[in-house]
Amino acid sequence: MQRRHKVIIYALMALVMIFFLGPILWFILLAFRHPSEAYTLPPQLFFEPYLGNFGDTFVDPGNNAPQLVSSVIVSTGATLLSLPFALASAYALSRFAMRGKDFIMNWYISLLIAPPIVFVIPYFILMSRIGWAGSYQAMIVTLQTLAIPFSVWLLKSFMDEVPLDLEEAAWVDGANRIAAFFRIIIPLALPGIIVTSMFTFVFSWNNVIFPLALSKQSTTTLPVGTISFFASSGVYWGHIAATAVVAMLPPMIIFLLLGRYVVRGLTFGAVKG
Amino acid sequence: MRNRYTWNRRLPYLLLAPSVIVLLALILYPLAFALCNSFWFWNLQMGPAPLYYSGLDNYRLVFQVTPFWVALKNTLLLGFLGTFAQFWFGMGIALLLHTHLRGTGLMRALLIMPTTLAPVVAGFLFRYLLEPKGGLLLWALEGIGFPVPPQGFLGNANTALLSIGAVDTWQWTPFFAIVLYAGLLSINEEVKEAAQVDGASAWRMFWSITLPLLRPIAAFLVMIRFMQLFNSFDLVFVLTSGGPGTASRTLSFNLYREGLVNYNIGLTAAMTWLVVIIVSVIINLYLFFIYRKREW
Repeated sequence: MQRRHKVIIYALMALVMIFFLGPILWFILLAFRHPSEAYTLPPQLFFEPYLGNFGDTFVDPGNNAPQLVSSVIVSTGATLLSLPFALASAYALSRFAMRGKDFIMNWYISLLIAPPIVFVIPYFILMSRIGWAGSYQAMIVTLQTLAIPFSVWLLKSFMDEVPLDLEEAAWVDGANRIAAFFRIIIPLALPGIIVTSMFTFVFSWNNVIFPLALSKQSTTTLPVGTISFFASSGVYWGHIAATAVVAMLPPMIIFLLLGRYVVRGLTFGAVKG
Repeated sequence: MRNRYTWNRRLPYLLLAPSVIVLLALILYPLAFALCNSFWFWNLQMGPAPLYYSGLDNYRLVFQVTPFWVALKNTLLLGFLGTFAQFWFGMGIALLLHTHLRGTGLMRALLIMPTTLAPVVAGFLFRYLLEPKGGLLLWALEGIGFPVPPQGFLGNANTALLSIGAVDTWQWTPFFAIVLYAGLLSINEEVKEAAQVDGASAWRMFWSITLPLLRPIAAFLVMIRFMQLFNSFDLVFVLTSGGPGTASRTLSFNLYREGLVNYNIGLTAAMTWLVVIIVSVIINLYLFFIYRKREW
């Protein structure tokens, strides 16, 4: 490649990176600024770091610390609950020839891309009728409308890659399908199961509609907690930034860890990457 | 032996049953709930149960009291413009990554960061950057002489919806870039070399070889992104709350307003069914025309 071309491409790449990462870095800096400096113009890139925003929100009075715990409970709960359902379905779709397979796969994906707000309002009424209003289980159960279809798709793509020979060998040895499933598929698809769980965790973590409608103050999650700063007196950007930075860290770390599985996770296993 | 045969034939359906039953219960309840209550007058602030039968009134009221057509127009506009912009920007970046110069690996790993954010967090990022007094982006744009409306982009009726689309595009262009790059890698180099030998220009090769070969991936991406944009709620909520006035209302935001702010359950139920019908039409048209040949 010509030197001139290389220079142009590097310049474009630098622009792209500034455009996509700049806003995130600027917001992270905001979390470490003293509230009086949130709007200083021209912008100050170097300043005395201030930890008070994190102190106020997570330590004393620490209104957002319980929300962090709620986020962990809801996301973990939703992920764990979806797994047994998704494992069984993904195995069926991966290993059996059956009529209507395309239909079922399309049905799962249409749930995944349907507007969640349509379901949320009836759930809101239902949960208060059965005494689950504001409970963790209300969020965990309803999040399954997204968690199960997503996990089925992604897990199926991982199970498709476990060679059939190994399973057949187990059948010859007298294991039935269920035993072979536990002895062959589960261990060999374990990396895929872990990857799937981590993505389900992230999607539940980042979900706002369900907790917004179904939580109460003591069970609400961190992203919803961030929103509530807007409702209260005036916009206090330092606090918003501090909670938002804590809320963005787990997904970012998980995506960095998952590296080469990112394409697959984001496309529900449809693109291998 | 025969027993084992029927057992194996029934097994896949038995394995599918739990997830299908749970999901059916989780979606049929809301749909049935909405259908029944759409014929009743029911405001949750007035009582915990429907007040009186009102026939098709709720369906009429959707068009009279709520900005349904504005929201439908905004929702479709957001879906089409957003998907279009994200696809082509993403394609551009994917081609940059495909040069495989030093540093593209790191770039790919970091580039996805906007997509990992919760949409509300992305919304906050840009509310801060677009704050009329002191927002960095607004300040910079004013500095280079860009015409910035006095209320800022989010407070102006002409730019509010476009701003939401722009923030979504910022968040999801990396997604298109990374996935389309994976698609570029899967294209057989021999096909391209053959075209090169035949004297095809780079431009021609892109349109006649690369793009058609990316079609299955592109069709999938466009479908899921269009629908996610169609469902836009989080970003609207944080950036503009549908405002100013109703300038950036989307269908999802209308549902939220009527259902969870005004507590008009009957009216929301009628709106829900209108939205369900629109969404079903879109998804089925898509599956029928573009997606039919795909094999799982």
